[in-house]
Amino acid sequence: MRRLVWLAAVAFTILGVAAAQAQDTPRRGGTIRMTAPYAASFGSLDPHATPRAQDDIVGKALQRSLYSWDTANNKPVLELAKSVSASPDGLTFTYKLRDDAYFHNGRKMTADDIIWSYNRIMDGTKGFPGARYVRIIKGAVDVEKGQAKEISGLKKIDDFTLEMTLTERVEPGYYFFAGTTAILPREEVEKGNYGAHPVGLGPFKFKEHIPGSRVVAERWDKFYKPGKPYADKLEVLIMAEAAARDVAFRNKEIDTSILGPAQYVAYRADPDLSKGILEVAEMFTRAMLYNPTYKPFADKRVRQAINYAIDTNLIIKRLVKDKAYRAVSWLPPSSAAFDKTMKPYPFDPAKAKKLLADAGYPNGFEFELSTSQNESWGLPIVEAIIPYLDKVGIKLKPKLVEVTVLTEIAMKGEHQAFIGSNLTGPDSLATLRCFYSKTPRTACNYTSFNNPEFDKLLDAAGEAADMAKRNDLLRQANNLLYEEAPVWFFNYNKAVLAYQPWIHGLQANPTEITHQYPENIWVDATSPAK
Amino acid sequence: MSQSTRASVTADVAVRRRFRLKGGLSLWIGGALVALAIGVAIAAPLIALTDPVMGANLMNAEIPPGLEFPFGTDAQGRDIYSRIVYGSRISLTVGVVSQIVNSLIGVSLGLSAGYWGGLWDDLVSGLTNLMLAIPSLIFALAIMAILGPGLLSLVIALGLTNWSYSCRLARAQVLSLKSQGYVQAARILGYGDLRIMFTQLLPNILGPLIVIATLGMGGAILAEAALSFLGLGIRPPFPSWGSMLSEARDQITTAPWLSVFPGLAIFFTVLGLNLLGDGLRDILDPQATHRA
Amino acid sequence: MLPILARRVANIIPTLAAVVALVFLLFSVLPGSFVSAMNEDGRSNIDPAVMERMRKEMGLDDPVTTRFAKYVANIVVGDLGTSFRTREPVTKLISARVWPSLKLVFAAMCFAIAVGVPLGFLAALRPGSAIDTASMVGAISGLSLSQFWLGLMLMYLFALQLKWLPSFGYGDGGIRHLILPAVALGVGPMALLARTTRAAVLDVLNADFVRTARSKGMTETRVVEWHVLRNALVLVITTIGLQFGSLMGAAVVVEKLFSWPGVGSLLVDSVFQRDIPTVQGCILLIVTFFLVINTLIDLAYVAIDPRIRYG
Repeated sequence: MRRLVWLAAVAFTILGVAAAQAQDTPRRGGTIRMTAPYAASFGSLDPHATPRAQDDIVGKALQRSLYSWDTANNKPVLELAKSVSASPDGLTFTYKLRDDAYFHNGRKMTADDIIWSYNRIMDGTKGFPGARYVRIIKGAVDVEKGQAKEISGLKKIDDFTLEMTLTERVEPGYYFFAGTTAILPREEVEKGNYGAHPVGLGPFKFKEHIPGSRVVAERWDKFYKPGKPYADKLEVLIMAEAAARDVAFRNKEIDTSILGPAQYVAYRADPDLSKGILEVAEMFTRAMLYNPTYKPFADKRVRQAINYAIDTNLIIKRLVKDKAYRAVSWLPPSSAAFDKTMKPYPFDPAKAKKLLADAGYPNGFEFELSTSQNESWGLPIVEAIIPYLDKVGIKLKPKLVEVTVLTEIAMKGEHQAFIGSNLTGPDSLATLRCFYSKTPRTACNYTSFNNPEFDKLLDAAGEAADMAKRNDLLRQANNLLYEEAPVWFFNYNKAVLAYQPWIHGLQANPTEITHQYPENIWVDATSPAK
Repeated sequence: MSQSTRASVTADVAVRRRFRLKGGLSLWIGGALVALAIGVAIAAPLIALTDPVMGANLMNAEIPPGLEFPFGTDAQGRDIYSRIVYGSRISLTVGVVSQIVNSLIGVSLGLSAGYWGGLWDDLVSGLTNLMLAIPSLIFALAIMAILGPGLLSLVIALGLTNWSYSCRLARAQVLSLKSQGYVQAARILGYGDLRIMFTQLLPNILGPLIVIATLGMGGAILAEAALSFLGLGIRPPFPSWGSMLSEARDQITTAPWLSVFPGLAIFFTVLGLNLLGDGLRDILDPQATHRA
Repeated sequence: MLPILARRVANIIPTLAAVVALVFLLFSVLPGSFVSAMNEDGRSNIDPAVMERMRKEMGLDDPVTTRFAKYVANIVVGDLGTSFRTREPVTKLISARVWPSLKLVFAAMCFAIAVGVPLGFLAALRPGSAIDTASMVGAISGLSLSQFWLGLMLMYLFALQLKWLPSFGYGDGGIRHLILPAVALGVGPMALLARTTRAAVLDVLNADFVRTARSKGMTETRVVEWHVLRNALVLVITTIGLQFGSLMGAAVVVEKLFSWPGVGSLLVDSVFQRDIPTVQGCILLIVTFFLVINTLIDLAYVAIDPRIRYG
C-alpha cells in the first residue's frame, strides 16, 4: 500500500513537472497578433525608405540588420554575422558573416548584399533615413555627394567575410542594429515596387498588406535560428486609437496592446489584467526646451526657476498617471552614464520666486510655448503647467501647432520655448552631442547650448578608449546639464505593453517596446487565434 | 359650395392653422434655448464655480459628477461645469461672427452679381459652384492649417466656406426684384447702384438671410467641434466645447462624463438654433416651405 | 437624353480643373512640409542632411509654377503623382481606399433613405399629429448632433456596454463593422430627408390641382397619387443627390473615429503629414464623385418629369 502511494506521488510529481515544463517549452504553431499603435497606416514596407517607428514593427518580422538589440544584456549583438574582430586602432571591423541566412526568395545572403544595401542607403538623390548611420563608414559621404559610386570603407574579402572601416571610433552595433539599415536583396528591389512585396531575411515571410488595416506574415522555414520562429503566422493590426485597442484587448481579439495613461490606471487596478503588463523605461526624454535668444531664458537662474516652480512629480502622477519616470537630467536611467545619486529638481515655488527676483524679474515675465496636440508631451502638459507658472508670476501663452510646424520652428529657432520628445539613446555620447556648441540647431542643438566646460568633457569622452572612463566623463557632462538647466526636465517615457496570458517571450526592449523580435515569441494553446 | 368642398376647405384651413402653431412652438422653444445659451455666455463669470484655466488642481483629476463638481472634473482637475459655461462664449462667438462673415461675403457677391449681371455674374456663379463642389470641412481644414489654430482663424475659415447659400439667395432675390417698379423709379431718380442695392434690395432679403444665418450658426458650432476633433480648433487653454469633446476621446471607457456634458451642451445649443431658424422661417420667409 | 448627358459631362471638366488649381494653390501655401512632419509620433529621429535630400527628391523647393505645370501634365495622362509618405503611386494608395469609402457612404445613404423617407411621408400624411411632431422633433435633433459625439455615444453604448457590435475598424469587410459608422454618418442625412420628404409631400398635397380634384368631388385616384408622388420625388431626389455627393467628404470625422480605412481618413492624415500629392488625389476623387452624382441626379430629373427641360 505504501509502495502504491509512493509510486503515485512520484508519478504526480513527474506529471506536474512535465506540465510546468510544457508551460515553459515554446509551442510550435499558432498565430501572433500584434498591434501597431502609433499611426493609422504604415508608411512603407521598404525598411530603407521610412524612419517611422511603426513601420519597423513589421520590419522586425520581415527584415534583419547586421546587428540586433539584445534586451537581456542591454546592448546590440551580432545578428547576420557569426563573429567580429576589431583592428587595434578601433576603426576597422572584420565580420565573419553567417552562411545560413536565406532571403525569402531562397537565395543565400553574402557580403555583396550588405555592400549593396549600404550603398543604396547612401544614394544622394534619395532621402533614406538610414544614411545618418551608414555615414560613419569611411567613404560613405562621397557616395552621398555623388563623388563615388561605392563606399570605399566597405571591402568584400570573400563571400562571407566583410571588412568595414569607420571614420570615428564608435561601437558599430549602435549604428547598425537600426531597422533603416536592413539588408535587402538587390534583385527584388530592382524589380521595382518593393514596398508591395517586401522580401527580406527575417523570421517571417510577407503574405499580405491591407492598407490601413493589417500586415500578415508566415513562418519562413529557412530561418537561421533552429526551431524558430515558433509561431506559424504573425499579424500586425493597425489600431491607433487607445480606446479601440482597449476594447479589442478585453475581447481577446489582439495579443498585445500599448496602454495610454488612462488605460494604464484601469489595467493596474484590474486583478486579471494587471498580471499581463510589461513596463520599460524607453530612451526618450520629454522636456521643454528654452531658446536662449529670448532674453529671460539667457539667464540660468530663470531656467532653473521654472524647474523649481512646477510640481513635476504631481503632473506625472496625476496627469500622466505614473506612466513616466521623473527626469533628473537629460540622459535616461538606462544609460551607463546616468548618475544614480542625483536628485531631480524639487518643487519649491518660493525658491523659484527668489531666483526670478535675483535675475531681475520680480514680477515675472511672459513667454510663448509652442506645442503639439500630443497627449503625452504636448497640449495637456502645457495646460497643466500654466497655473504653476502663473503662481510665480510667469504668464505662459501656449501656441498650438502641428508637429510638422513645430519641427520647423525648432530647427529655425523661431520659438521662445517648445515642448517635445527627444530620442536620448542608446548611444549616450551621440545623445549628449546635441548640446555640443558646434552642433547646429538644425541638427539637434535646439537650445543653442554653448558651454566650454561641457565641450571639453565631450571631447575627452570621444577620445577615451576605455568605456568606464568614457562613461564617467559623460556622467559629469550630464550632471553639468542638470546645473545649467537648458530645459525644464519633465520625464523619461515609460512604455507599457499589455499582453494576454497565452503569449510568451516578449522582450522589454528599451529602444522601443513595440520592436519585438518575433522569433522569440510563442503562443500557447489557450490562444483563441488559430 | 357643395358640402364636400366646404369640408375639404375647412380641413385645409385647419391644417394650415396647425402649421402655424407648430411654427410658433419651434420659435418659442428654440428661442428659449438660444436665450439660455446667450445668458450663460454673458453671465459666465457669475455662474461658473472656478476659473476655467487657472482653476486646475491635479489632485482633483477625473472625479465623477457629484456635489462639489456638478459635471465632474477633467484630467487636469478642472471643473467641467465651469468650462462648459465659459465655453459657451467661444461657441457662440464662433457661430455669430462666422455667420456675419458668411453673410457679408455672400450678400455682397450675390447682390452685385444679380444686379450687374454679365461677366461678373458668370464669375460669381462659377465661384459658387466651385465652392459647392469642394467639401466644406476639407476646405476649412486647409485654411486652419494655413492660418494656424485659434479663434480668429476658425472664424475666417468657417466664414469662407459656406457663403454660397446666402449668395444664391441674394442673387435670386435681386433677379426677381430687379424689374420691380420702385427699383426702376430709384434708377430714374438718379440713385447710384450701391445706394439702390443697400436701400431697396437688401431689406427684402433680410428675412430669409436671418433664417440662413441662424441655421448656419448651428452648423458653425458643429464644424468647430469637428475641426477640434481633427486637431485644428481653438487656441488652448481656453475651453471650447469641441476641444473638450476631442480631449475626452481616449477616456470614453474610463471617464464617460468627460464627453457627455460638452456633447449635450453642443446639442442643445444647436437644437435651439435650428428650432429658432425654423420658427423664424415660418414668419420671415413663408415661401420657403420646402427649403428644408 | 444623350445631348443633355454630353453637355453635363462637358460641364464637369472646367469645374474639376478649377478645383484642381484652387486646391493646388491652397495646399502650396501650407506651412510645414512632409519632411518636418515625419517626427509626428515623437519616436523617429531624422537627421537634417537626410531631410535636405528628401526635400530635393520630392521637389519641395521647386517654385510653385514648375510644380503646378508638372502636376497638370501628369494628371492629363492619368498619373496622380507619387505619395511622399509611401513612395508609391497615389492612384494605388487611393484605389485601396475607394471601396471602403463607397461602402460606408452607400450604407449611410441606405439607412438615411430607408428611415427618413417613410418617416417624412408618414408625418406628412398626418400633419399636426403625434407622429408628425415626434418624427420632426427627432429629425431636427438628428441635425443638431455632432457626428463625432454621436459616434462616440454609439460606440460606448453598442460596443462597450452592450457588446453587440465591434467598436472600430474595417474588420473582414463584413456588415457588423459597417453598422455603427454607417448610422453615425447617416443620421444627419436621414433627418434632412425626413424633413424634406414631409415638406415636399405636404406642399404637393395642398397644391392647387389636388384641391381642385378634391373639390370636384373626386376621391384620391391613382392618377392624382402619381402626380403627388412624382412632384415630391423630384425634391426628395435632389436632396438625396446633394447629400450623397457630399457624404464622401463629410465622412472624414466618422472615418477617423471608427478607424475606417476610407478616402476621408487618408485625406486628413495626409494633410497633417503634408503628403501633398495624396491630398490632391483624394480631393480630386471626392469632388469628381460629387460632380458625377449631381449629373446623375440631373438626368434623373429628366426621366421623372419630362416637363423639366434643360435649354
